[in-house]
Amino acid sequence: MAMENAKIDRLQFFVLIVLFETGTSLVIGLGIGAGRDAWIAIMAGASLGCLLFLVYWQLHRYYPGDIITGYIPKITGKWIGIPLSYIYIIYFLYLASRVLRDFGELVLTFSYPETPLFIINSIMILLIIYGVIKGIETLARTGELNLIVIYFLAFTGIFLLLASDVIVFDRMRPVLEYGIKPIIKTVANETLYVPFGELVVFSCIFPYLNDTKKARTIGILAILTSGINLSLTMLLNILSIGITVVENSPFPLLATVQEISVANFLERIDVFFLVALFIGAFFKISIFLYAAVTGLANLFHLQSHREITFPFGVIILILSMIIASNFAEHILEGLDVVPIYFHLPMQVIIPILLFMIAYVKNRSKKKNSENLLPGQQSSRSSGNETTVSGE
Amino acid sequence: MILLSIFNIFKRRKQRKKQNSQFMQKQSQTNQQNDTSGQADQLEEKYFKNKIGENIQIIMKTLGDSSDLIIRKLELPTEQPIQAAIIMIDGLINGRTVNENIIHSLISNEKTIREADRNKIFDVIEKKVLSVTAAESVYDWNTFFDSLLSGETLILIDGYKKVLATKTSGGEKRQITPPETEVSIRGPRDAFTESLNTNVALIRRRIKNPHLWLETLTVGKVNKNKIGIMYINGIANDKIVREVKKRIKRIDTDSIIESGEIEQFIEERTYTFFPTVFQTERPDVVAANLLEGRVAVLVSGSPFVLTVPALFIEFFQAADDYSTRFDISAAIRILRILVFFISLVAPATYVAITTFHQEMIPTILIITIAAQREAVPFPAFVEAFIMEITFEILREAGVRLPRTIGQAVSIVGALVIGQAAVEAGIVSPAMVIVVAITAIASFATPSFSVAISIRLIRFILMFLAAFIGFYGMISGLMFMTLHLCSLRSYGVPYMSPLAPAMMKNLGDTLIRMPTWAKNIRPKLISQKNIKRQGNEQPPSPRNN
Repeated sequence: MAMENAKIDRLQFFVLIVLFETGTSLVIGLGIGAGRDAWIAIMAGASLGCLLFLVYWQLHRYYPGDIITGYIPKITGKWIGIPLSYIYIIYFLYLASRVLRDFGELVLTFSYPETPLFIINSIMILLIIYGVIKGIETLARTGELNLIVIYFLAFTGIFLLLASDVIVFDRMRPVLEYGIKPIIKTVANETLYVPFGELVVFSCIFPYLNDTKKARTIGILAILTSGINLSLTMLLNILSIGITVVENSPFPLLATVQEISVANFLERIDVFFLVALFIGAFFKISIFLYAAVTGLANLFHLQSHREITFPFGVIILILSMIIASNFAEHILEGLDVVPIYFHLPMQVIIPILLFMIAYVKNRSKKKNSENLLPGQQSSRSSGNETTVSGE
Repeated sequence: MILLSIFNIFKRRKQRKKQNSQFMQKQSQTNQQNDTSGQADQLEEKYFKNKIGENIQIIMKTLGDSSDLIIRKLELPTEQPIQAAIIMIDGLINGRTVNENIIHSLISNEKTIREADRNKIFDVIEKKVLSVTAAESVYDWNTFFDSLLSGETLILIDGYKKVLATKTSGGEKRQITPPETEVSIRGPRDAFTESLNTNVALIRRRIKNPHLWLETLTVGKVNKNKIGIMYINGIANDKIVREVKKRIKRIDTDSIIESGEIEQFIEERTYTFFPTVFQTERPDVVAANLLEGRVAVLVSGSPFVLTVPALFIEFFQAADDYSTRFDISAAIRILRILVFFISLVAPATYVAITTFHQEMIPTILIITIAAQREAVPFPAFVEAFIMEITFEILREAGVRLPRTIGQAVSIVGALVIGQAAVEAGIVSPAMVIVVAITAIASFATPSFSVAISIRLIRFILMFLAAFIGFYGMISGLMFMTLHLCSLRSYGVPYMSPLAPAMMKNLGDTLIRMPTWAKNIRPKLISQKNIKRQGNEQPPSPRNN
């Protein structure tokens, strides 16, 4: 097994989910297809995301010792399972490089118009490789410290926005201007997948939890927390700069932060934005890369994921450069192609199919084991887990 | 297929590495065997001879007839007088004890000795004649020289293949003085000295508990230094105690002179900027650490005592935090964290802002700074680098210089760093302010060992800021955070109780809660027996 000998506790699990979800979604115009009601679309996405999370979690409960590339072959058999596992790994690598590209472009627009994208991206990926090599425990601990930073920045930012007197509550009205349809469309096209459906990557992290009892509750709590965070941020953007600016700006949060001006001194605290962006992107890419390399290490039966982390980090770097010839193309791909051809099958359809097969398999197993050992009714729930993982 | 072949290559390389390392180990083992044969830790003879004359010959030969060796020959007044000799090293012994309790006893107790049986004279002297605190028999030359060189007085008696060792160690010792590097406003005023016994006593006086255990090991093949390991049995984590002993026993070196050398052998990781072993010269700090379940390592000859496991936050906890009232010390703790960040990023921020992010400071200020920098010929990074290096030179010089000259250096330094540099047009006045703030901030960190790592990291951050502005700085800080979070000290995560967060232990980190709220010991260090005190102790008028 290519598993690290690591354990993460409940709080760290919560922190990782929140950081992953918040990630780069915080700074882009998330759910902007729903116009003024973007914040509703985000909350709806979060609620549906909880259901997806339950599917991923239940899959993990059927195969508690395995990460995603471990249990897919067990569910579907070798001939479908192993190619499918490879597809998942490629999917994770692709998403990581998309986030890296997003991040790089954002930093360039932020204040380095003449720096090559390659420099920005390579600094980031080197950091990420270091973090991933150090393992999930280190990432989780770093996350705990960084979440404090994010919240500190958020509260200071909100306070300064209030002090700058730019928030106009009328800007969020009328609510549901065009009815519920645009919201449903946005949820189904955008917010369900990014960021909530992307939690499928946590299938590679579930086995490290040291307390599986409350993890489901913690996970849902974390998803809802990040949903509220994202939706509040979007609402704040709309309230402070108005829907027109939000729709036309690639990074509404940056525009909002630039509105801050207190006592003619605290102006242009853009660095807040940069820090939040940095932390979010770091954790998002790290978790994707971590999932990809542990998945691969698992498939190849390597001792540890460490030795393949660097090459795959470099692959992400190169992918992020060649994925699109310019930013507009990148965004267009992200809006038109990725959700339907990548996200929908990988995040929704395949996991649900897997879940159904696993459900049937485990029920028949359970029956078998009951027939074999009719006296041991009490150990039923734990019994089916052990028989499955013992395959 | 290609991927598979790549992985095969990886595997093969690994195997080769393993083989190589095994080969190296074998080689080094044989090398060691060759090395030690000619070293100064070997003695020609193992056991004593029967005749006293031969024994004295051996002693003189082994010590090279050193002039501080004292051999006092005397005759025991039995029926047939027996030859005896008292061996000691001048300067290591307490002369008065030797005179009064050994020589005087031997001579004045003539009657007891005369009546004694010739065969039992050794026991008679040990039990009836000598009036020293401790005496024991020694049977081989190794122990003989160890005792002799640690200040014991040895009594040789003709016809015996054993020697009586009496505890007479003494000699000149430094007085207990106030601490010099960890000054506190309120709190005890004593600091450790170079004597292991004194240091142990200073700790024992603070923890009068039979479970405070001391284990002494000898490290260093040539200089044979004494290392004491102290812990409170029942509070300290057995695993950590075992690990400390294991790491100290593993040390294979000719000499240990200072506790800093031990630190480098037993610390968690060498390639890190951060200390994973805590050192202090204050007995009260060591006592407090022992009570939290840590293990102390004392080195004879060093006034600095090490404690493990060390946590990052420990280096921000000054001794008088705990004797000050909680609101004050909580505020000061926050100030220290702030100071840590200032001394880390101040020059880097200056470089980043003036090079990349001019728009981030208010217009009036940027105009002023730009006007000042007009006359400066260097880019901001070079300017900052020159100033920081100058300051580091001054500081280093200030540490080494005799106190009388120090005054002069500080005046010259103040002129160079301040007025003159600005007037000469080498740096801008704003830079001087930044350097000054950084310098003062770095002195405000209570622990020298962290302050010194900040000095190094500051330069790296400055370089990153010059390279790519705030983005570089944030990357650097993120790397630092990752690195800090990946560190462990004796199995305990270095950043705990912050990350992983231990809610009940957070009371002594960024702020310090009142003493009555410190109900449990640090969870990860002690692991068992973590309850410290009762819950219901907050003072209130009702309680009184």
